[in-house]
Amino acid sequence: MNGTLQGLQGRASVFVGAMILGGCATFTPDGGFGSVEQEVRQRIGKDAIWPRTDAEREALESRVATLLSKRPLSADDAVQVAILNNRDLRAAFAELGIAEADLVQAGRLPNPHFSMFRAKLGHDYKIEQALTFNVLSLVTAPLAFEVEKRRFARAQQSVAVEVLRLASETRKAWIAAVASEETVRYMRQVLRAADASAELARRMEQAGNWSRLARAREHGFYADAALYLARAEHAQSAARERLTRLMGLWGGQAGYELPERLPDLPGTASERPDIERQAIAQRLDIRAAILETEAVARNLDLTETTRFINVLELGPARVLEGEKSDPYKKGYEIALELPLFDWGTARVAKAEAIYWQALDRAAQTAINARSEVREAYRSYRLTHDIAKHYRDEIVPLRKRIAEENLLRYNGMLIGVFDLLSDTRSQILSVTGYVEALRDFWAADADLQMAMIGRVEGTLGPKTLLTQPEAAAGH
Amino acid sequence: MVTRRDFFRGAGVAGATLAASAVSRVSLAALPEPVTMDKADTQPPLLPPNGRPYNPVVTLNGWTLPWRMNKGVKEFHLVAEPVVREIAPGMKAHLWGYNGQSPGPTIEVVEGDRVRLFVTNRLPEHTTIHWHGQRIPNGMDGVGGLNQKQIPVGKTYVYEFVARRPGTFMYHPHADEMTQMAMGMMGFWVTHPKGQHPLIDPVDRDFCFLLNAFDIDPGSYTPKVNTMLDFNLWMWNSRSFPGIDSLNVRLNDKVRIRIGNLTMTNHPIHLHGHEFLVTGTDGGPTPVSTRWYEVTTDVAVGQMRQIELLADEEGDWAFHCHKSHHTMNAMGHDVPTMIGVDHRGLAKQITSLIPEYMVMGERGMADMGEMEMPLPDNTLPMMTGTGPYGPVEMGGMFTVFKVRREQKPGDYKDPGWYKQPPGTQAYEWTGPLAEPARFRSEGGQSMPLATKSPGAEFQVRKPKDHSGH
Ligand SMILES: [Cu+2]
Repeated sequence: MNGTLQGLQGRASVFVGAMILGGCATFTPDGGFGSVEQEVRQRIGKDAIWPRTDAEREALESRVATLLSKRPLSADDAVQVAILNNRDLRAAFAELGIAEADLVQAGRLPNPHFSMFRAKLGHDYKIEQALTFNVLSLVTAPLAFEVEKRRFARAQQSVAVEVLRLASETRKAWIAAVASEETVRYMRQVLRAADASAELARRMEQAGNWSRLARAREHGFYADAALYLARAEHAQSAARERLTRLMGLWGGQAGYELPERLPDLPGTASERPDIERQAIAQRLDIRAAILETEAVARNLDLTETTRFINVLELGPARVLEGEKSDPYKKGYEIALELPLFDWGTARVAKAEAIYWQALDRAAQTAINARSEVREAYRSYRLTHDIAKHYRDEIVPLRKRIAEENLLRYNGMLIGVFDLLSDTRSQILSVTGYVEALRDFWAADADLQMAMIGRVEGTLGPKTLLTQPEAAAGH
Repeated sequence: MVTRRDFFRGAGVAGATLAASAVSRVSLAALPEPVTMDKADTQPPLLPPNGRPYNPVVTLNGWTLPWRMNKGVKEFHLVAEPVVREIAPGMKAHLWGYNGQSPGPTIEVVEGDRVRLFVTNRLPEHTTIHWHGQRIPNGMDGVGGLNQKQIPVGKTYVYEFVARRPGTFMYHPHADEMTQMAMGMMGFWVTHPKGQHPLIDPVDRDFCFLLNAFDIDPGSYTPKVNTMLDFNLWMWNSRSFPGIDSLNVRLNDKVRIRIGNLTMTNHPIHLHGHEFLVTGTDGGPTPVSTRWYEVTTDVAVGQMRQIELLADEEGDWAFHCHKSHHTMNAMGHDVPTMIGVDHRGLAKQITSLIPEYMVMGERGMADMGEMEMPLPDNTLPMMTGTGPYGPVEMGGMFTVFKVRREQKPGDYKDPGWYKQPPGTQAYEWTGPLAEPARFRSEGGQSMPLATKSPGAEFQVRKPKDHSGH
């Protein structure tokens, strides 16, 4: 058989040679991760690593440990830890492997088809040998390969988006966690003032200067302060756990230390008049949508090409009829499947529908991107204005009121309880500033994300800033 | 012939200046030029340069308005206008007054004088003047709408009448008077008797002042005109202690003090070391048979009292309203009483939040007189003033009646603090102190207590010092 099919193979190699032109169909050494890595480094300056060997895993773990040993943990370090350590993200990296396998599969030739017919009557033989090859695949394979190539590129982009989204969410979680810890510290101070005031009220009653009613009224401040603190601690615990989850930490690793304060408000919010155009050029979801439409368009071509002919098989054949010593008759075999019942219209209609769907989705993606980036930018500007207003107006105003109240206390124009209750308002204004600053940095992170892709995720529960009834006695 | 300007100078009113009038000279040509005062010090008496002779009064932290004689008529010119009045060193008030000050200048005339008063309105709203307590033609009584049209902004009205009855009077607006009096529009009027009067004795010194009250929020300047009763500044002639000048007299001077009340409450005015007679009221001199000796006389709202005494005890004698809240400056009326409340441990906790915080009131409020702590701008300490032996712990309606052997007749200058002769001052007892017998029984015979009250054991708290003060 070796010898007999020599010629056939020779001819088949011509087809194979043609196929190779369709594209490289082997696995890349980095599994396509290189482009993800590059995208992440270029966009946010962080390292994305997909460890696939034990040595790599160990190196990564020690790097995470080093980052976590920094006290306090900065926002950038938290983001880096999350990218290195979040297991959901690592699972997403594996998607890339799956997509690449599909691509490689698409790039490979279908196996040639060998058929042999052998019949014998005495010395009369009938032998038919054919080595056929799905010729149409020569036409369709480059098309299919193109489709898969785009799908793979899209998979790479979506993995990059996942990395960047995780980075953004981690940054926001870090902001929320730091702000909530700061708020808890302030609330502890409020409780301390309230505690002094409640104790003083108790001593007022003890000395006979106050009725139980007056003491109870003053105690309301303490009761409220305890409530504020409990709420603040609740918010703080939720914010910290979210950050811990995003960084993929557990056990002793979760004992990381955060800074005492958020970074200061930048002097001015940056002007970005061209932000929509930039977003359209940069956003990965728009790129992905374009790749998708291209892939789908190729797919439509493919479907249309093959709508009448499902399979066209072609190959060399030889036939021997008669004596074994007779020469083979050479020829070829063409097998054709005719669309007698299936004219391919359904497949084409489906592909067309998918194509239009992809086009509309891409268009909507662009519309959404513009709107999202506008919203994010406005939010960034407004939260900056609000935080600035807190910093430059409300906090100094409360401070001035506190100073004037102290002067009034000095003149015995107001009592110590008024002074303490006013201190509480001052502290609440500081807490309000912390929250405004938190909202600004979150909006800043959202704006950066809006330049990459869709903005998701919230900041978690806000602390309550309105004053409950019991405290309104002053 | 002396010019008007020379005449005013001759009147000896130190500090008085002719106002650079906003009204044109021509329109004022027929008017006496208005004279204004730029300080709140007590001015020496204005000896009458013309007209009928009389013994002038001394207006405490005030002055007497000069006049001109015009064909036998005494002509005064009052200008109603916004003024800045020093309440005491460290505090100024934005008030409405007359001729640069609030209260306005004292007007002194003699029984039977024909008086013409030009009143120019430089306030932002119309006004009138009512001549409180005088017998005058109805059309001169100054009740806006009732007796006359209100004087419009920028206009000058003329009042003219004969000062028929000798006595002590006041003047104040009777147009939007709630606002205008709350802003300080008021003044004193004295009609001296013509010659000898059977019920009015000549005196060596004759002082006068108005009682008035404002509500000025600490840190602000303008009175709250809608305050009804809860005033925070109690004043004599719009001055609060230590801004009120002392009444300086010579030993054995016969002294008359005239007091008018334009506040919303009565004031029991009390003088230490002497007895006095109430020799005059709003109605004029009191009949001799009705006079009895007092050390305190209550001056009701809208009333005048004229008291007389022989200053025959040397020394520095307190002279004040006996409502003790009226001898305080601005204070918080809702400040809780902290007496006996132990601050230990808490002071530190509070200072962690309010670094400048200091405990006050734990031992009483005298801390206020001792400590010098920053206060809101333009605010007088609640109790203040330092005497030769330490803080006087006073404010408001308080001053000192100073009787001195060496004070010269006609000299009103402050002679300084009195030095008590040795052995005539309270001193510290350094001997042993016996435990006093304490009250032990509870309930009277009519309602004996069923059970012994736990409150029977009185804990007497002694003042103690805590760190952190
Ligand atoms: Cu009084």
